[in-house]
Amino acid sequence: MAVATDYARRRAPSIGRAVDRYYGALVSTGSVVAFLVVWQVAAARGWVNARYTSSPSQVLAAALDIARHDDFPHHAWVSFSEFSLGFAAALGIGLPLGLALGTSRRLRLFVDPPMMALYTAPRLTLLPILIIWLGIGAASKVAVVLLGAVFPIIVNTMAGVRETDPRLFQAARAFGASRLDTMIKVLVPGALPAILLGIRLAIGRGVLSVVVGEMFVSEAGIGHQIMNYGEAMQVGHLMVYAFAISLFGYALTIAVRLIEDRVRSWRPEP
Amino acid sequence: MTRVLERHQALISGCISFAVILLTWQLAVALGFVQVFFTSTPIRVAVAFWRELRSGEIAANVGVSLYELLCGLGLACIAGIGLGVLASWSRTIEHILEPFIWFTYACPIIAFYPLFIAWLGLGAPTIIAIAFLSALTPLYANTLSGIRNADRDLVRAARSFGARRRDLFLKIALPGSVPIIVAGLRLAAGRALTGVIAGELFGAAAGLGYSIAFYGQKLKTTEMMVSLVMVVILGVILTQLLSLCETATDSWRTGPGR
Repeated sequence: MAVATDYARRRAPSIGRAVDRYYGALVSTGSVVAFLVVWQVAAARGWVNARYTSSPSQVLAAALDIARHDDFPHHAWVSFSEFSLGFAAALGIGLPLGLALGTSRRLRLFVDPPMMALYTAPRLTLLPILIIWLGIGAASKVAVVLLGAVFPIIVNTMAGVRETDPRLFQAARAFGASRLDTMIKVLVPGALPAILLGIRLAIGRGVLSVVVGEMFVSEAGIGHQIMNYGEAMQVGHLMVYAFAISLFGYALTIAVRLIEDRVRSWRPEP
Repeated sequence: MTRVLERHQALISGCISFAVILLTWQLAVALGFVQVFFTSTPIRVAVAFWRELRSGEIAANVGVSLYELLCGLGLACIAGIGLGVLASWSRTIEHILEPFIWFTYACPIIAFYPLFIAWLGLGAPTIIAIAFLSALTPLYANTLSGIRNADRDLVRAARSFGARRRDLFLKIALPGSVPIIVAGLRLAAGRALTGVIAGELFGAAAGLGYSIAFYGQKLKTTEMMVSLVMVVILGVILTQLLSLCETATDSWRTGPGR
């Protein structure tokens, strides 16, 4: 088992019959629809204060309003570029560092304690100081995404390398593979499932980081808009932006999960 | 001597690496590489830490944050484990719950904090709600998968001795899934701590996260660092405690792979 429990994975279709799958999707859809109907009716009838809860129709109207009057593509682009830059940096730092830490015990002894201290603490606490260092623009958000995303990648890469079958490693060395060869041909493929799990966990952290970073202080971006509409108590508009960012994170997570399934399919069950 | 060194190798190297970090930090400021305004120095932070410890400021902040964390986490335990058990009972219930559970997982809960403030007011209840929603999914998912993946041999044995569904649940599935639930609790605690601290950055008037935001806005780096260090310490203690629980609940198992 990797460091992080892989609970986000759905169970393999043990029953595997199409009927069951459709039944599940049907029930899930039904429950969401029921929820929307109750929400709409409760707001319309005044059971709850619609000013605070909005309602599905208001959210829809807000979405249309945003599409027409708000500069949604601009804000989405700002958030997306901050996220991508930070995430790319996290991959660029996290993968090599994780590989190095996984292969070298000595390095691990020295780097592990401070890294774990940072890993267990919420990195969002660093937000105010990052803003002092880097200003209120994109740089501080890129940094907070990097900090949020890099640790799951390092930790899982490290765990994956350490869990790679040592016999494969020894066999490769015995047949004259160099350190680099074993790294590229044995360790990285062996650790791939764990690395992908780390990346998947990192996506969630990264998305949260960029939104909270922008909410804290910024000039543009999804989080900036959430903050503006929140302060103006325009709940419908706020929800549209919150849904948009959730959808982005969710879609990305699903994409990585699909890659994980593909990677997993060629290796036998342990 | 060498044996002592070997046995405590991890501890010693850890201390060395923390010492190197602190020394580099202090020297970087002392030699003028960075301005003290930006990073403060370990000595200043230590002095401020001692001052805040004696004035009770740290205790007050930690108390508030810890209270919110434990309330949120406790509620998440009740709801998460309860819903997990419920979902393990019937596939239909699982499918009904699933979209909502995964929504709370995928969505950055903090984005909804203006709503929580409108509903619950500024302060502890809002933060507790954020921590609760952040922590819910790991507990639910691990409870469900723990019960679903109960040891088949045990189930078969119990059934052949005439166990009913209730017996299977109470005597095999539930005790068997305790380690997995505790593992979920560890993940949940991390998420809840993030929720509490990040929530306090915005919607609170007390607590560690609040003090970080407060001193940050006044550009008082040293005081901010004190609260930051305290958050790290809190996180480490919490994770270590729950790791201990995890080992303790898992230790009675025997057999291959344990």
